[in-house]
Amino acid sequence: MRVLLAVIHKEFLQVFRDRPMLAILFLVPFVQLFVFAYAVTNEVKHISLMVVDFDRSQESRKLIDHFVKTEQFDLKIVSDNVFRIRDEMKAWHVQAALVIPPDFSEKLVRKQRPQVGFIIDGVDGNAGIMALAYARGVLERFHAELLPTPQYASLLRQTHQAIVEDRMWFNPDLSSQQYMVPGIVVTILTIIPLMLTAMGIVKEKEIGTMEQLMVTPIRKWELILAKILPFLILAYVELSLVMAAGVLYFQIPMQGSYLLLALLSFIYLFAMLGMGIFVSTVTQTQQQAMFVAWFSMVVMLLLSGFFIPIANMPDVLQKITYLNPMRYFMSIIRDIFQKGSSLQHLWGDVLPMSTFCLLIFGFSIAKFQKRIQ
Amino acid sequence: MRFVRTKIQQMKGAVNPGRIRALAKKEFFHIIYDPRTLVVLFLLPLVQLIMLGYAMNLEIQHVDLAVVDYSNSRLSRKLTRAFAASPFFRPFVFEGGPEEIEDLFLRRKAQAALIIPHDFDRQMLRNPFGKVQIIVDAADPNAAGIIRSYCQRVIASFQPEAGAKRPWLVDLAGSIYFNPDLKSSYFFVPGIMALILMMISSLLTSVAIAREKEMGTMEQLLVSPVRAPEIIIGKVLPYIGFGLMDAGIILLVGMVLFGVPFQGSFLLLVLLTLLYVLVGLSLGIFISTLARTQQVAMMMANVATVLPVILLSGLIFPIASMPQLLQYLTYLIPAKYYLLIVRGILLKGSGLMHLWVPALFLGILALWFMGNAIRRFKMTVED
Repeated sequence: MRVLLAVIHKEFLQVFRDRPMLAILFLVPFVQLFVFAYAVTNEVKHISLMVVDFDRSQESRKLIDHFVKTEQFDLKIVSDNVFRIRDEMKAWHVQAALVIPPDFSEKLVRKQRPQVGFIIDGVDGNAGIMALAYARGVLERFHAELLPTPQYASLLRQTHQAIVEDRMWFNPDLSSQQYMVPGIVVTILTIIPLMLTAMGIVKEKEIGTMEQLMVTPIRKWELILAKILPFLILAYVELSLVMAAGVLYFQIPMQGSYLLLALLSFIYLFAMLGMGIFVSTVTQTQQQAMFVAWFSMVVMLLLSGFFIPIANMPDVLQKITYLNPMRYFMSIIRDIFQKGSSLQHLWGDVLPMSTFCLLIFGFSIAKFQKRIQ
Repeated sequence: MRFVRTKIQQMKGAVNPGRIRALAKKEFFHIIYDPRTLVVLFLLPLVQLIMLGYAMNLEIQHVDLAVVDYSNSRLSRKLTRAFAASPFFRPFVFEGGPEEIEDLFLRRKAQAALIIPHDFDRQMLRNPFGKVQIIVDAADPNAAGIIRSYCQRVIASFQPEAGAKRPWLVDLAGSIYFNPDLKSSYFFVPGIMALILMMISSLLTSVAIAREKEMGTMEQLLVSPVRAPEIIIGKVLPYIGFGLMDAGIILLVGMVLFGVPFQGSFLLLVLLTLLYVLVGLSLGIFISTLARTQQVAMMMANVATVLPVILLSGLIFPIASMPQLLQYLTYLIPAKYYLLIVRGILLKGSGLMHLWVPALFLGILALWFMGNAIRRFKMTVED
């Protein structure tokens, strides 16, 4: 027991002695939190729009007004040359172009369904799809404005149209911050234990102090416990700070139980600490350890459903996500935060996550050897 | 003493190519000596590329839709069938009331619910408009927005009479330039190139230089006849080589596996890529002068170079949607310009006449970062 306490004491000194490192450790999550919360949004707004209006009538100007007054489109260029569209897109000046044909108003008045062209830059596929959907929405509103006027009364009589009233539950304003902050909690609970444990152990190997540790009478589990304890505590401190910032500054409603969140985080942390130990057993230098840890994190993050919905992935990848502990933890954290789910709703995720965490941790411990190859 | 010698060496003139070659060779062997580093350098970026290429599909499919049908009429059943016919929805009839929908969402049995009122039939046939309600689980706001627009599309094209067309004023003829199938790999292959080049040129070099400091071998190098600029050039040269090779491999795999086109000029791409790598290296060297250990160097490089590439460059998230303050910040992110350049050249065939603005900005950043890095490095070496 005295030996154990001494090693733990040493590890704490080692971690907390490095002031620049500590400063960074506390700075990084906050930078991450603020940048993620403000920058990370898949919302597509302010699409730069070019308008080629051959008609130049009152009606065509009304249609253009409908595009311009939305938040989604910013009118950048007005031109009467359709061939300029391609060049302006090549130079990234515009992302979409609206082309109004010369007979637009004439056909509109005669109810002959004129066609307007809408060209999008397909390089960013997601933004392209959204731009098309927005354009349809703009036409829908244009339609809704014209339809009740007496001129189109005959059309209104023929109309039998269903319309939608929508309700967004759990996040009525579709605020992406409310979605991002729980995700950042997960990345922090991943990056700190995984990367720092791996680099911390490999550092001893690289500098040669691992050999000194090996000839001491500490047992393997004591060494491991001492190595992971500081990071476990650090992870919890940062978790609380980030949660506090999320709830107090970003006003993210926390619907669920803090206790449940802390408890399930504990299970997940062990998996990440175990992975950190595992990475340290397969690498020799801190550079390697860092890169392997970084990439495992990116892969887990991509397959966690945070950025890309799992239902959209090809079948093979979907099956692989079942092996990803972050997948379970991500949905657990999000459900606790946003929906206030309790353990009875979360069993389906908690069970596989705990199993994986046990397996990963057990396997890493078995692989970690307190001797020189 | 060292100061005097540096002065003498400065009088002797330019850096010695022979010594640089020797140092670069040492660093090169140091990298390839360990197969693990090679795996890290080449295999992992490819895995990332392939995963992003296949997985990054923001189109949402198979949305489980609970239908609460109070009308239970010919029209309401027809509407349900219209949803079933769309590839986006998997509707199922839900017998419970609206208050039980929350439970469905909590257990993730449904992502959206459609509520058809009891007088839907009559409203649709007698009036121009009939109302239905949709409720979306907006825990993922992005998905919720997309689901809402899909619902609107299905409902907009729904007509009570079979074969009837909606009376409509203006048609939209959409067309898509440059990536007609809207393949996400077109968007991500250039993005991964920008990310990997930045990781290798700034993150790996700063860690490599910090490593010499941490192990104490930097001092040995400094007391040897090698001059400080030679040390740096020698150290970073192999990384430039590996970085460019990596970018080449990613491009090749992207073209072969995902059919990413190469529309523009190869020469222009190489030139501007070198400029981008130069910016990355300057950042890496600058960071290495601030950090004494590899861990600190890594964390700093991550925050200062890698994270901005992922978050603020337009790699995934559109810059135009960010708050104004962050948009100003993106002008300082070299990857922002490089992404415009590499996507423009590869996918659109843009030439220098289209891309001179981002190229100019990238050049200015290169000069500025390089100047700072050299000044900082001289300062730390001389004291």
